[in-house]
Amino acid sequence: MGPPIIGVSKHIQHIRELVDHVAHTGLNTVISGESGVGKEVVAQNLYSRSPRLGKPFIKINCAALPEGLLESELFGYEKGAFTGAEQKRRGKFQLAHGGVLLLDEIGDMSLPLQAKLLHVLQSGEFTPLGSEKELRTDTWVIAATNHDLKQDIAEGKFREDLFYRLNIIKIHIPPLRERPEDIPPLVDFYVKEYAEQLGGENIEIPSPRVIDRMMQYGWPGNVRELQNVLKRMMVLGNCDQIVNELFANQSENIGGPAPVSDIKRPVSLSDLLDLEGENSPESESFSLKAIKRKAVDQVEREIISYVLDKTDWNRSKAAKILKISYKTLLYKISDLAITPPPGKKR
Amino acid sequence: MATNPRVLIIDDTEEVLSALCKYFDEQGYEVVSADNGLDALKLLDEDIPGFDLVITDLVLPNVSGVAVISIVKKKFPKVPVIAITGWGEHPEALAREAQADLVLEKPFKLPDLEKAARKLIAGGTGR
Ligand SMILES: Nc1ncnc2c1ncn2[C@@H]1O[C@H](COP(=O)(O)OP(=O)(O)OP(=O)(O)O)[C@@H](O)[C@H]1O
Ligand SMILES: [Mg+2]
Repeated sequence: MGPPIIGVSKHIQHIRELVDHVAHTGLNTVISGESGVGKEVVAQNLYSRSPRLGKPFIKINCAALPEGLLESELFGYEKGAFTGAEQKRRGKFQLAHGGVLLLDEIGDMSLPLQAKLLHVLQSGEFTPLGSEKELRTDTWVIAATNHDLKQDIAEGKFREDLFYRLNIIKIHIPPLRERPEDIPPLVDFYVKEYAEQLGGENIEIPSPRVIDRMMQYGWPGNVRELQNVLKRMMVLGNCDQIVNELFANQSENIGGPAPVSDIKRPVSLSDLLDLEGENSPESESFSLKAIKRKAVDQVEREIISYVLDKTDWNRSKAAKILKISYKTLLYKISDLAITPPPGKKR
Repeated sequence: MATNPRVLIIDDTEEVLSALCKYFDEQGYEVVSADNGLDALKLLDEDIPGFDLVITDLVLPNVSGVAVISIVKKKFPKVPVIAITGWGEHPEALAREAQADLVLEKPFKLPDLEKAARKLIAGGTGR
């Protein structure tokens, strides 16, 4: 299940060592780091090295579900517990019994639900909705977050007692830009994997020079963005151009999403795409397909930035407005390298 | 005691750690120290003679003091553990749940800590 933790930086070496020393303990763990840094990979590696391997590994995203639904997903319900509960349903705590429950995006859990989670962690027992019986659960709880939970506590959004109860083991994964030396081994690993998937001959892979440039880039979407870029390189070819685009988009994004007033001003698409300049039909890289993708990317980036701006970077809200799944939104944020305005956490 | 007792001291605040080490050293203990939980776990795993006592702060980078206590109590149930904590910190209750033999709130007097340490090593309750 999942890849090994790839990397040669001292951060990654330290994380591997930590995983080796704590995987057998089953003590509550918090894994923190920006989106796409590998929090789930670390959780999977903890599980694979633990005596719980072979037991269930259950994951739930606390940001993707509204409060009521998240509660019934976690604890389950009896038939008739609420309108629509036509069948009894087992909760994640029951499903994960003996194994691991990964609570993803724990920082987005509501305060009332935090209280209920705290109760489960203290007592090892939980009650399905509409039930009288407390059920026992032996579940290794691993929480992941891209929030600064200390900050959330200061703002009254996260319970301090829950924080300490979860943080028995803490594993922080620094962003990829702070450990560029991990890029070559990651590229190596995923080039092999994707080459196998793509199966064709003459797949273009990034040259050492391209990898060098990749090591200079900021990777706001971290390893997930790196994977997307690699896939694009191997499917479309032309690694040089793709790496150039990364830097071009990065400078466009400095200062965060376009201010609202900019979006309202009608812009000509040919301006936007620089059809007179770099992307002119005279240019070598010109092709309808490439331009079309660039145009779609531009439009998506504008719209998503706009909605994120409006929702104050509340990504679950933004996903709902955009009518795309939360996952898709996160993917697009990283793929399109949309960065939050200064002072906003990503 | 025939030989000098061996104590593992864990604290991430450098001044606290060095003050503790210095004091226990002066009192005739053999002192080994770590400034984070992972290093402490490594020492516990690698150290051949073993420790007669562990003294740990609770809030630590990576592996918390609470984790160190549970792990020590599982692997070496006979080794006594003293938790030292900033006052009013939530992990205090967690340290008790993890079966720390004694939880001492900062600030405390070094001689009091050492007296408790001596009693625990001798097989007492440390109180
Ligand atoms: N050190 C690593 N070695 C190998 N693969 C990695 C590593 N870090 C991340 N990845 C890969 O990058 C992708 C994103 O990682 P992952 O899903 O673990 O990130 P995450 O921190 O959980 O992100 P999010 O906050 O968006 O949930 C996954 O496909 C994962 O396999
Ligand atoms: Mg994840």
